[in-house]
Amino acid sequence: MKEIVVDVLDSGEVKVETRGFSGKACVQESQFLKDLLGKEISQQLTPAYYREGKQEVKKHIPLCG
Amino acid sequence: MSHIAKIELEIKDLQSLKEACKRLGFEFVSEQKTYKWYGTWVGDSPMPEGISKEQLGQCDHAIRVPGAEYEIGLVKRNAKYLLLWDSWQNGGLEAKIGKDGGLLKQAYAVASIQHMARLKNYRLREIKTDQGIRLTLSV
Repeated sequence: MKEIVVDVLDSGEVKVETRGFSGKACVQESQFLKDLLGKEISQQLTPAYYREGKQEVKKHIPLCG
Repeated sequence: MSHIAKIELEIKDLQSLKEACKRLGFEFVSEQKTYKWYGTWVGDSPMPEGISKEQLGQCDHAIRVPGAEYEIGLVKRNAKYLLLWDSWQNGGLEAKIGKDGGLLKQAYAVASIQHMARLKNYRLREIKTDQGIRLTLSV
């Protein structure tokens, strides 16, 4: 299931976490929340970000072999 | 999980702020042009960005907090609103809205997300956590 989890701390700090998305869709699907609430000050990509569908996108292409 | 982002909250929507006030039991007073504070700048904390000493005490709207002598001023700057308030203990605000106004900002963020979830027809779950409130939007 695709979910966007927003933790709004008592300090007023906001953390947005996307779950169940693959690839760059997570960033696009949660952009409306960032626009709504303020400005993004940090971002941490997780392994799922580098997957398109069920295939992992290779970031390093072997030059030999 | 795909990515995690931290967001610096900005107050942009007055309607959500009004809903936040309602949630907290505060009174939003539209067009109130001054807010109660100590009345003299004593330099014990940084000046809010873009605000001069002469502008303290003036606002576009205000928030009254039951049980607090002082009030919160809202000042419009470009597309967002600044919260101006005096954190002196005797004014009573910090005990009600938290350090740096965190509880008011939290209520604002929750109201904004609830509003947007309704518009986008997302299912929304809200739970209380040790550190705050968790909202889960099912896409």
